[in-house]
Parts: sequence; structure tokens; C-alpha cells
Amino acid sequence: MFDRPWRIAATGFCFFVFGAAGMLLGILVMPPMLLLVWNAERRRRLSRLVVHHFFRFFIGLMNFVKVLSYELHGVERLQRPGLLVLANHPSLIDVIFIISLIPQAGCVVKSALVRNPFTRAPVKASGYITNDTGLGLVEDCGRALSSGETLVIFPEGTRTPLSGQVSLQRGAANVAIRCRKPVTPVVITCTPRGLAKSQKWYRVPPKRMHFVIRVYDDLQVDSFLESGTPEPLAVRRLNEQLRSFFEQESVRAAP
Amino acid sequence: MTKDQLFLKCVEILHETFDLPTERIKPESRLYEELDIDSIDAVDLIVRMKPMVGKRLQPEAFKAVRTVQDVVDALHMLIHSDAAPPPP
Repeated sequence: MFDRPWRIAATGFCFFVFGAAGMLLGILVMPPMLLLVWNAERRRRLSRLVVHHFFRFFIGLMNFVKVLSYELHGVERLQRPGLLVLANHPSLIDVIFIISLIPQAGCVVKSALVRNPFTRAPVKASGYITNDTGLGLVEDCGRALSSGETLVIFPEGTRTPLSGQVSLQRGAANVAIRCRKPVTPVVITCTPRGLAKSQKWYRVPPKRMHFVIRVYDDLQVDSFLESGTPEPLAVRRLNEQLRSFFEQESVRAAP
Repeated sequence: MTKDQLFLKCVEILHETFDLPTERIKPESRLYEELDIDSIDAVDLIVRMKPMVGKRLQPEAFKAVRTVQDVVDALHMLIHSDAAPPPP
């Protein structure tokens, strides 16, 4: 009976913890790191590791206070180096899940996070790529991948609408095709839908959210470029395949 | 090349590069809104149009293009810019 009020309070508490931690990282952790770790590359690795562990803790916290439950499938595939990870985006916390599973990941995030005081410091220190530059974005991602980083992109660019209809920006497919990089698809489902785009955080779903994170086999991109297919055309075909894959799998995978 | 010839060549390139049905490509078609060609595609497009002009293409020449006709006009100007008197 008190389940809903509890989950509203617990969600608020988690949000508070997240914001406070983001600020504290910016005040207490990142400035000393600037002083103590002079090598920019090492600083970035350290920062990503801090974010990874905090996100692991945070997912554990949300599970512990019964805001959500989750199951993971095939996540050992994410432990390989230098992946291009593309995931669908049903909820606000998808990136937290994915980063909590990969110790060293670059990520494309919306540029608003650099201006948000709660997220600014970790996002900058971790060298995440901000998403509002068309051609520049593809170049940044290419550089990250060629230096052997794992890169996480949510190709929808924004959260999936409640209808479940998936539409993808072409940036991620452009990165895959132009860098000849296999795609590691991750399908995230959240049942019932909560923390979606149009939902206020305090409008908690009728029952505890259950997340399923499923990592699939790599999708090779070479076949899209066979017989001299122009890259823009290959990008469109890959994008359509990914779109229907995400849409179908997120329906199929939901319990 | 006349503007009509340039237009036909543009239709051919757009069809090959983006698999657009040729009947959808009209001079007044807007590249981004109607033909779904974004800034990343535009780079490919410029590379493919280079042979038509036969000299280096500055992406700046295409900054302001919105429609297929704008592209044709820009190409036409580039091809005939030799005829212009050299700057003093």
C-alpha cells in the first residue's frame, strides 16, 4: 500500500544523491586530481574510473531502495576493448547502466550536461563527447575509436517516446560506416516505463521498474559497403537495420 | 555545361549516393527538409561533384545552399568563375 509513496520518496532521495555526488566530485575530487595527476590522459582514465564506480554504486542504490530491479545478459561482451556500443534509450538512467558495466568508456552525451552544475565537472574531466556538432561529432568519435577507446552512443539522440517507436539520428551509423567499426548493440527495456522523456520523476510507474540489459553479438558493417556502395547509402541502410532491430528487440525482450 | 545539364548530373549523383528516386528530385527540392541530406552527407556530395567543376571545391561555396537549384547555381558559378577578370 505504501509502495508508491515509498518509491516516490526513494526516487527523490536517489536524485538528491546523484546531484550531490556530481557537485562533490566537482569540488572535492576533480580539483585535487588536476593538481596531482598532471598527465591529461591519465587524469581522464582516472575520472572515468571514478564515474564508473559511482554509477555502479548508484545502480546498486536504486536497486536497494526498490526504485528498480534489473537483470543483465551477455554483458561480458562489453569487457572487450575498443568497442562501438550502440544502445536504445528508454529512460533517463540508461547511460548510468551502461557506464556502470564498462570501466573505461567514452560516451556521447548531450551538450546540456556540460552546462549543468551537477554534471559539468565529471563530464568534462572524463572527456565525454558532446553531441551537437554534426561533422565534428563524427570526427571526434573516429579519433576516440582509432585510439582504441570504447565509445557508447545512444543513436536515438533523445529518449524513446512512450509509444516505443524508435527513430535514429544518423550520427552513430555514420561513425560505424566511416570508421569500418563493428557495432555492439545493447537493448535496454524498462517495464513498466518510467523516467521516460515526458514523465516527471515523481510520477513513478504503477510498480517497481524492471530493467533488462541485453548485449548482442557484434554487427559487422563490411556487408553494407560491399560492391562499392557509397558510404551515405551504407549509412542509411545500417541505420534502418538498427532502427528496426531496436524496435523489435525492445518489444520482444520486455517480460 | 549549361544549368540544365548540371541539374541532370546532380539528379544522377543524388540518386546514386542516396538512392533517392529521381522523380523526387526537383530544382526546388530542399536538401535537408525534403531529401534528408544532412551536413555529413553534404561532404560526400561535394566530393562527388568535384569532377564536374574540374578544380578544387571550397565547401564555403556551398554554405548557403538550401535547394537543388542552389547547388546547380553554385556549381555553375564555380565553373564560369574563370571567365571573370583576375583580381588586380
